[in-house]
Amino acid sequence: MMSSEKVLLKIDNLSAKVEEKSILKGLSLEVKPGEVHAIMGPNGAGKSTLGYVLSGREGYEVQSGSATLDGVDLLEMEAEERARAGLFLAFQYPVEIPGVSNLEFMKASVDAQREARGETSLSSAEFLRLAKAACKQVDLPLAFLKRGVNEGFSGGEKKRNELMQMLLLQPKLCILDESDSGLDIDALQVVAEGVNSQRTEDRSFIIVTHYQRLLDYIKPDYVHVLADGKIIRSGDASLALELEEQGYAWLTEKEA
Amino acid sequence: MSNWLESAVTRAETVSDWLSPKREASLALLREAKVPTRKTEAWKYTPVRAIDQVTVSTEVSASVQVESIDDLNSVDLVFINGEFDAAQSSSELPAGLTVSRLVDADDSARAWALSAFSNIKPDRHLFGLVNDVLATDGALIDVAEGVEIEQPIRIVSLLTQGAEAHTRVLVRLAERSKVAIVEQFLGNEASYNTGFAEYDVAAEAELEHYRFATQVNEALSIGGSHFNLGEKAQLNSTLIGFGSKLSRVDVDVTHAGSHAFAKMNVIYLLDGKELFDLHSTVEHAVPHGTTEENVRGIVADHAKVVFNGRIHIHRNAQKTLAELNNRNLLMSRTAEINTKPELEIYADDVRCAHGATIAELDKKALYYMQSRGLSRSQAQVMLNFGFINELVEQMPNQVLAEWLRPQLKARFAQMEVG
Ligand SMILES: Nc1ncnc2c1ncn2[C@@H]1O[C@H](COP(=O)(O)OP(=O)(O)O)[C@@H](O)[C@H]1O
Ligand SMILES: [Mg+2]
Repeated sequence: MMSSEKVLLKIDNLSAKVEEKSILKGLSLEVKPGEVHAIMGPNGAGKSTLGYVLSGREGYEVQSGSATLDGVDLLEMEAEERARAGLFLAFQYPVEIPGVSNLEFMKASVDAQREARGETSLSSAEFLRLAKAACKQVDLPLAFLKRGVNEGFSGGEKKRNELMQMLLLQPKLCILDESDSGLDIDALQVVAEGVNSQRTEDRSFIIVTHYQRLLDYIKPDYVHVLADGKIIRSGDASLALELEEQGYAWLTEKEA
Repeated sequence: MSNWLESAVTRAETVSDWLSPKREASLALLREAKVPTRKTEAWKYTPVRAIDQVTVSTEVSASVQVESIDDLNSVDLVFINGEFDAAQSSSELPAGLTVSRLVDADDSARAWALSAFSNIKPDRHLFGLVNDVLATDGALIDVAEGVEIEQPIRIVSLLTQGAEAHTRVLVRLAERSKVAIVEQFLGNEASYNTGFAEYDVAAEAELEHYRFATQVNEALSIGGSHFNLGEKAQLNSTLIGFGSKLSRVDVDVTHAGSHAFAKMNVIYLLDGKELFDLHSTVEHAVPHGTTEENVRGIVADHAKVVFNGRIHIHRNAQKTLAELNNRNLLMSRTAEINTKPELEIYADDVRCAHGATIAELDKKALYYMQSRGLSRSQAQVMLNFGFINELVEQMPNQVLAEWLRPQLKARFAQMEVG
């Protein structure tokens, strides 16, 4: 993949805690436009925390270090400003919002982001057309547009719903937190194709996964191992194969 | 005068009209009555002293334009400070519908009104008795057998600064008739009103009912809607309560005929220091009745809500299906929710459920929505609306639902998480 010298996401020596517990411990990572980075690592390593810290979840307190998106300090922004700046997090556990229809929610999200960019909002008809296309692309029945956000969706349906939001929001940086967990092989391909369809020279991805399987479909430029709050190893796609065979122990032992 | 109750009794003694036989019975009860205190079960959380602290008069006249509801195409009956406003009321009525006023009812209207007046509304409602003896005007609505009235009937009671008014509505649905009735209460300045309505729904008749108890701020508003359901009668009622200095509604539904169906949806939204108190009682006196009561509300800031919902299933009311559900969203730790859903069951072959929940605003959902670019306040409005939207969607009249939505949203926009 072509990559310019520009950096889209720059995380430098980031440390963060949740409820007095240090979780990120000096994490650094650079993502250039158009790149796909996979992050793997043991449970509890801090992978989801990284997504929450970057997206501005309350209660996740940055202790030191920095994170910029397109050169702008992310950590000073409200959660919604980060989204409007082009950051998108597909949640490991998407939240159910009963009573708020998926379509209404996505329209409001897209409108809010367009407005922030000084663009006019889409007409209902225009948006509906886009939403239907996105819904089809992630292989969910159109009835899901009318349903409450994630309300009663299965695990796999929630993940596809996250992807649908991503398709509609057209972010600059997409962080996918275990979007492949709990998916059967067909659903996995749907997610992978969804991601691949969005790969452009400008858009970057951070893909958190436990499985090499997904990376067969989405070829990463880099693979990182996150353990105990920092990146302890980086490599190319072949690192994922190594991890698949050998697990993480050999890395964490060497580290200790 | 020392208080509103004595004042009501004294003034009632001077009222004399065709309703007097009925009024006298209520007056006798009122003479024995005491001003409710904190020890009075039905008024435990709702002090009434505000009525003595406001200066009001039944002589305030005002000309105010009542906003119409676009596209509702309703038959309007407008009362300003208790006085009928002919100019703002509809003059033409659809066939099968007879409407008279309390003051100009003819003999046949009087005949059925006398049998209905104060017969459907239970005597235990103290302010109902006040209304019995003081109601000077109101509407008598009579729907003929087998007739379906397509136009909704909207009864507006608007109060202005310093006004006191007591209005009464009596509605009779003859067998197999169908009508929609909207009771709308307006006026947010210091005022005091009682507004009671009694509905006699005969066999196989269908009543769509709305009560918009949306007076806020200084208004003191007390009233009730009371229903008697005949065999296979259907009631679909939606009550919206906003709360004010004193806002109290009593609802009674009696399943008098078997196989009747009552659906009651209630939404209350309170902010500031508002108070809203709803007492509902459903009497299943006969077998095979169904009641579905869904009460949902959002309470913010220092507001206080009281919900007391009782379903009473009599010994021979076998095969009753009854559900009573109260869900609350607490927006601030300083808000107060007093909820007491009660089922009293004396029959053994029934299916009943009741419950109440109080939840706080879902912070995780707020963050999720913000992470998609919505501002916190936008997210909050959507979340709140989501909480009650299901009930708004169930309103049978979608024009009313459309009219209501922006008002609810405007109210959410004011509420802040505490
Ligand atoms: N709200 C929280 N309070 C306390 N500990 C938390 C909280 N959220 C996460 N943690 C802890 O932080 C660590 C990292 O969690 P997480 O980022 O979810 O790991 P991963 O996604 O890599 O499995 C875990 O030990 C987890 O228990
Ligand atoms: Mg995780």
